[in-house]
Amino acid sequence: MASAPYSYSYIFKYIIIGDMGVGKSCILHQFTDKKFMSDCPHTIGVEFGTRIIEVSGQKIKLQIWDTAGQERFRAVTRSYYRGAAGALMVYDITRRSTYNHLSSWLTDTRNLTNPSTGIFLIGNKRDVEDQRDVTYEEAKDFAEENGLMFVEASAKTGEKVEEAFLETAKKIYQSIQDGKLDLNAAESGVQHKPSQKPRGAISNDQQANKDSCSC
Amino acid sequence: MVPGSKTSDFVSNLFRATDQVGKKRGGFEEFHWLSKYNSGSAQPHDEKEEIGSESLLLDSPELAVPRQSIAKGATPIAARESVIRYQMAMKEDDYTITEVIRVFVGTWNVNGQAPGASLADWLASDVEPPDIYAIGFQELDLSKEAFLFNDTPREDEWRFAVTNSLHPKAKYRRIALVRLVGMMLLVFVREPYAPFVQSVATETVGTGIMGKLGNKGGVCVRLDLHRTSICFVNSHLAAHVEEYDRRNQDFHDICSRASFTFHTTPPSPSRSIKDHDQVYWLGDLNYRITDLDPRLVKELVDAENYKPILECDQLKIQHRMKNIFVGFKEGEINFRPTYKYDTGTDNWDSSEKNRAPAWCDRILWKGDQIKQQHYRSHPQLCISDHKPVSAVFLSEIRVVDEVKYRKIHEEVMKKLDKLENEFLPQVMVDNTEVIFDVLRFLEPQSKELIIANTGQVPVQFEFIKKLDDTSYCKDWLHIEPFTGFIKPGEKCDIKLEVYVDKKSACKLNSGQDKLYDILVLHLEGGKDIFITVTGTYERSCFGSSIETLVYVTVPIREVPIGKLMELENSKDTPQSQPYAIPKEIWFLVDHLYRYGLKQQHLFEHPGLHHEVIQIRNWLDNGSSDPLPGSVHSVAEALLLLLESTAEPIIPYNLHNVCLGASSNYLQCKQIVMQLSEHTKNVFLYLCAFLQELLSHSADNELDAKTIATLFGAIFLRDPPRSRSDMAARSRANQQTLDRKKANFVYHFLVNDQSELIGCS
Repeated sequence: MASAPYSYSYIFKYIIIGDMGVGKSCILHQFTDKKFMSDCPHTIGVEFGTRIIEVSGQKIKLQIWDTAGQERFRAVTRSYYRGAAGALMVYDITRRSTYNHLSSWLTDTRNLTNPSTGIFLIGNKRDVEDQRDVTYEEAKDFAEENGLMFVEASAKTGEKVEEAFLETAKKIYQSIQDGKLDLNAAESGVQHKPSQKPRGAISNDQQANKDSCSC
Repeated sequence: MVPGSKTSDFVSNLFRATDQVGKKRGGFEEFHWLSKYNSGSAQPHDEKEEIGSESLLLDSPELAVPRQSIAKGATPIAARESVIRYQMAMKEDDYTITEVIRVFVGTWNVNGQAPGASLADWLASDVEPPDIYAIGFQELDLSKEAFLFNDTPREDEWRFAVTNSLHPKAKYRRIALVRLVGMMLLVFVREPYAPFVQSVATETVGTGIMGKLGNKGGVCVRLDLHRTSICFVNSHLAAHVEEYDRRNQDFHDICSRASFTFHTTPPSPSRSIKDHDQVYWLGDLNYRITDLDPRLVKELVDAENYKPILECDQLKIQHRMKNIFVGFKEGEINFRPTYKYDTGTDNWDSSEKNRAPAWCDRILWKGDQIKQQHYRSHPQLCISDHKPVSAVFLSEIRVVDEVKYRKIHEEVMKKLDKLENEFLPQVMVDNTEVIFDVLRFLEPQSKELIIANTGQVPVQFEFIKKLDDTSYCKDWLHIEPFTGFIKPGEKCDIKLEVYVDKKSACKLNSGQDKLYDILVLHLEGGKDIFITVTGTYERSCFGSSIETLVYVTVPIREVPIGKLMELENSKDTPQSQPYAIPKEIWFLVDHLYRYGLKQQHLFEHPGLHHEVIQIRNWLDNGSSDPLPGSVHSVAEALLLLLESTAEPIIPYNLHNVCLGASSNYLQCKQIVMQLSEHTKNVFLYLCAFLQELLSHSADNELDAKTIATLFGAIFLRDPPRSRSDMAARSRANQQTLDRKKANFVYHFLVNDQSELIGCS
């Protein structure tokens, strides 16, 4: 049976980055499960989630890597930026420090991803307006200065979460349409047509391991 | 039945069965359709009955395969799509509402005439405009050209006439026109419905001579309006009063041979007439009145007493006998027979045949929720020897509530996405921060980790390398097993062993490395877990450089870590007065000098591990007790100390020069003179000791060659090499190198070194 009309046409790899406790995993969970995890433990590693969305009539499978935010893992999580088509950079609107660190996250993203990677800035926890520590305007300015897409969202209520994922996908899809994103490049973060091995990450190709050096 | 019709019926059933089996993946017991050929009665397979609740659906084994493969991302996503379609079909009632539409069906045998006046009396006689028109003609053109070449100017003429006579209160769009010789069927829908018409297809079946020619047969249009499939059939069945059997056969031929193909997602086998929610059958069916005197018929008609005539209507009789139109209904006939009139009049045919008038032109329907509102003829139109007939139906169609549909579709998608995420590999690791106690040189420690598969799918795990790393863990760490497979609900014990040996000690001593590593535990097709391994390394003279040790005048454990690191890393000479050689080397050599000169096989016998550890502690902590352990252990500790320094006595940068000069004592001496002061001291001190040792060879049975070979490997330690280098170096090659190293040291064991010592 020909699978062409109903398979997903693309796989986009996303990463979610940002300081510890800004709600990265909750955002992922809200997006994949439509649920809020109130007692979400710190991510020790990189969580993985997936969902199929539709952009311009094209079905796109999103593979989302939700990274640990703890500073001590920073060096390791850098491995996961490679080949991301989209990056969701999250801060917590009630904690200024998480906003102040954005430039460092952005530097990593710019250095470790390719120029066509769609970067979306998300100010999370907008449901707790009374504890706001970062204004919408300054974050908006920061986003504009750096050419980032931006929303304030709430992983708790789900507000604007969907939008961030979808808008990023639209941007990536647009880059493909415009020819700005080379599908053949190994690190574009986009795969056309479903494949048997959609998971690249830091595994497979670099897997020359200990057993092979003991010769 | 005509030969072949049964076969084609069988084939179309096969198609449908393939479809069913494809959907169900059930097995042979699902082949209910076969029973048709055993019992003679069709048992359409109703798959909705097979599926009970939603939970049953999720647990049914047939879905397990796509789910798992979906979860692994290796999906034929078509499987996922079919699951979505299947679930949506199951929930159709939840997102559809019914809507009643007005369907106008008209049929007219025009006897080859051109349209004259407006057809409004036929097509627009009701107050309410219909939503769908299906208008069928027979004998559109009786010319030879039409018959042989299927080409006629009448098509356009009648099409214009019809288009201009549609109900004036509404706007229509023609969605199909199909013609076979004189049979033509036109379907129009009101503008607002046009966007919801899909999968329009037409079909023609000729049942004339050879079962092919199109003077008799049927033309059909099928369409989906919203979620309801509708089929219109316009047929002209065999003529002649007595030929009802042929008419029956024509009917069955049309049913079995009409096969609609149209684009669907997914591509589905072609559909036949009966595969529709609603079928409207119209046409000149040609069934007559028999067994009744024509004069009597005319009398009864004039008295509008149709009942006794209809008793003799062949169609009614055949229908009652279930020879034709099984499952179809026909409304009550309250209009005069529509055939045969003198053209242009309302008078019965006056030709010599004197046939009984008959209701040749009929409209029947099949399908639930269809109410006939009108069934009538239109005698005002008299250009033909037939009168046109029309019927108006109020038919329920299923309309998708877009809001509900989207909501339910999203729910289905969400459920699948959720399933997919739930079916990702999941494990629990009992400890993601493994902390070791104080670790000492040459003393291994191990801890266990438990990886439990808490997910629903088997897990293949592996510790993987981080970006730019050459291995998945530091060289002082060993993970066993580093890869494995865990079934759901099962566990795997992982042993982490930390062991600082002569290779890893110097980096830890100098602070170049720490007992800290983050392991990446990767689940194939799933997430990664970081496991942090930490410990405190207790610095030792083992693994320290000679340059550092000469400045450490107290036991090394008494020196603050910061000071040690400073010594290890600083290039400039510290203030304090250094020893000529490290005191640790002096202690060990002095001990051997005193107690081991006459010891047989010194440096050849291995020491005891626990004694080496005691010696290490004695050196590192300082003690007033005598140096513990046997001379063999002390000898081994000395070798170990020399082997664990960051740089060997002959530094790596002089390694090749030395090997090149190994046959030439003079050159060898020059190289030694280039060594840094403390290293040179150690070298010459050790050589002096070894000469002393060899002077007792009568007792200790040692020979210069053996000692030279042993110390050659230590003084000229091979630089760390990449694996490819190691592979390139053959065994024979290595022997040559080892011999050169031995040669180099040998010079210094057999020649007098006092001049060199004097120089320092």
